[in-house]
Amino acid sequence: MGYRLNKEQSNALFAKLSEKYDIYAPKRFPKQGRYSDTDVIKYDKVTSFDEVEYTEKSTYPMKEVLNPVHQTLFYFNDEDYHEAVKNLRPMLIIGRACDINAQKIQERIFLGNGFHEDAYYRRRHDMAKFVLMECNGGTDTCFCVSMNANKTDDYVFGLKFSENGLEIESKDAEFEPYFSEYEKEDFKVKFVEDNQLTVTPPVIPDKEVLNALKKHPMWKEYDARCISCGACTMACSTCTCFTTRDVVYTENADNGERRRVSASCQVAGFDQMAGQREMRPTAGDRMRYKVLHKFHAYDARFHEGPMCVGCGRCTDHCPQFIALSATVNKMSKAVEEIMKEQGKEC
Amino acid sequence: MNNDINVKALQRNCFRQSKVPGEFMLQMRVPGGVIPAKYLEVATHIAETWGDGNFHIGTRQTLDFPGIKYESIPAVNAYIQEYIEGVETELSGVDMNQIAHEPHEWDPKSGYPTIGARNVTACIGNVHCICGNINTQEMARKVEQLIFPSNYHIKVNVAGCPNDCIKANMCDFGIIGVAKIDFHPDRCIGCGACVRQCKAASTRVLMSGPNGLPIKDDCCCVGCGECVRVCPASAWTRNPKKFYRVILGGRTGRQTPRAGKMFLNWATEEVVLGVLKNWQKFSAWALDYKPVYLHGGHLIDRAGYHKFKEIILEGVELNPECQVAEQMFWAETEWRSNFNVKFPEDHLTAGPGSNNGGH
Ligand code: SF4
Ligand code: SF4
Ligand code: SF4
Ligand code: SF4
Ligand code: SF4
Repeated sequence: MGYRLNKEQSNALFAKLSEKYDIYAPKRFPKQGRYSDTDVIKYDKVTSFDEVEYTEKSTYPMKEVLNPVHQTLFYFNDEDYHEAVKNLRPMLIIGRACDINAQKIQERIFLGNGFHEDAYYRRRHDMAKFVLMECNGGTDTCFCVSMNANKTDDYVFGLKFSENGLEIESKDAEFEPYFSEYEKEDFKVKFVEDNQLTVTPPVIPDKEVLNALKKHPMWKEYDARCISCGACTMACSTCTCFTTRDVVYTENADNGERRRVSASCQVAGFDQMAGQREMRPTAGDRMRYKVLHKFHAYDARFHEGPMCVGCGRCTDHCPQFIALSATVNKMSKAVEEIMKEQGKEC
Repeated sequence: MNNDINVKALQRNCFRQSKVPGEFMLQMRVPGGVIPAKYLEVATHIAETWGDGNFHIGTRQTLDFPGIKYESIPAVNAYIQEYIEGVETELSGVDMNQIAHEPHEWDPKSGYPTIGARNVTACIGNVHCICGNINTQEMARKVEQLIFPSNYHIKVNVAGCPNDCIKANMCDFGIIGVAKIDFHPDRCIGCGACVRQCKAASTRVLMSGPNGLPIKDDCCCVGCGECVRVCPASAWTRNPKKFYRVILGGRTGRQTPRAGKMFLNWATEEVVLGVLKNWQKFSAWALDYKPVYLHGGHLIDRAGYHKFKEIILEGVELNPECQVAEQMFWAETEWRSNFNVKFPEDHLTAGPGSNNGGH
């Protein structure tokens, strides 16, 4: 079952949904881009159809809704502490198939990695439902199809945005009453079936190949090209790393709060240990770590494919034009070479 | 060569006297340093038909054609009508039928009516440059509308950011695009990139605070936007409102070269253009309403900064963020010590009954 809504009706629908839900969607922030007179698109609370940016991929990913860059965990003083429990309203998060699939990876890390669930993530996660936005075909940095992330079933209803309004695929019966007054139409959200870009992650069969890959000269290229800024991981839909920071209030240093703050494996110092030792001191080392984590280690641990949905945001946001897709394809070639050298079948 | 030539009249017509008798160099204005590439054909035609086959890229971003014979000047002037109308009227919105804001009919076949206000130069600005804060070309063209045609001399340079590649610090009226920077603490990951960049490439006003977030000494931030450029998380962003810094009284030259000093900080476009609009008025007053040719920067010296400020700010409503220099202490290079110490009757002055030193 589907519906067609004009602009006015679409705005009315958002207003109606907002009575019960906090709606999060990509929103354009004019002139807040890295370069002057460029924009940033990031997730934010919206209450109207008009606010949603649907023509262009967001600069920053959906993950910021459930795993904000800054999140206060607890407040403390010299004697006591109390947990920061926010009274969350139910959330609807609007995103494309890759975005929703990326949340599965976030969930795997926060809720399904070892014995402990992350309570802070759990709280937000349980309040959220996804609304699918039909993707308009993506850009030349997208490779969701290669990552098997172009389709999803995890949404309560689907939307196709256009300048005329919305077409709606009703899915979860709970939401049907919101739409039933509008014009009916046969509508189902279509998924992207092809990207311009194909990325073929390597199969790394054993430790010997892995060790040779770690030493492969291909990583040296990034010592010269990558500036270790971390923009790629900030834009990444699937990166989950954070650090904790104590924010101590200036008026009274006995009071403060502990926050968790996003962190980046690409920034120098990320892996610094006591004694100042860093395990990955060069940009090439850090690039190798990121790419192998996403395209080997994650799958080796969970057997669920790569820790990447092919959204291409890392490539879009890299100020040095380092394309992750090209890096992965280079790595696959390197693995082939290594296998040949070691007399193994590809 | 026995022509009787009025070289001063030709200079006003933008033909510069050559050391070769009877030859001149045409200087064509390029406001903001950008013109559609199609005009290169015009340039080729001029150089190959009337010039010596070359063109020189002028130090103020003009297109210069050396080796033009005196006899060819009327033909050249007729030919450049298309260029002047295309670049000045259409592209820059200049009213050619006025001089210094007074009605004055322009004969389209007569070439450039004045040379006083020099070509407005600009760096490439934010249409291309990753550092730029403003569209320098648009700004230069708006300035062109206010200062050209006019016999009063002024050199205006427009820089996209405080890196000042166009040397706004070295002209009479330098305009620099600056940005107010907004901080979004809830996006900062404490990576320190902005602190390092501000230190390495700008003013060292950022430091890492005790909570890992940057702290800024707001007083001395030059609004370059380098922190924005390097932030991986959009925790620093440029405020969408555009601001400008005006650097006054910079110059090169034989007598007293000096770098300009800050006149206005955090001025809006409206204020900058409002001030420039008064330039003709100031020049007219300073020269006692005589259309003599004098370097704009020297006029400010003669009038004194305070008098200049009074006239140039007349009727201009400053935006709330705008700061104005209370005093102006230029540091000239005095090739000869005590350069300014002279007999009182030799002092150059501005305004009614002024001493022009024989100019
Ligand atoms: S690694 Fe790049 S393409 Fe993959 S999920 Fe992250 S941002 Fe998207
Ligand atoms: S790959 Fe690009 S975005 Fe990522 S750290 Fe290196 S330079 Fe920065
Ligand atoms: S002054 Fe600034 S904007 Fe202009 S070219 Fe130089 S760095 Fe770029
Ligand atoms: S805008 Fe200010 S804080 Fe930012 S780099 Fe420039 S001087 Fe430093
Ligand atoms: S560069 Fe951005 S994220 Fe890094 S410390 Fe500065 S403001 Fe924070």
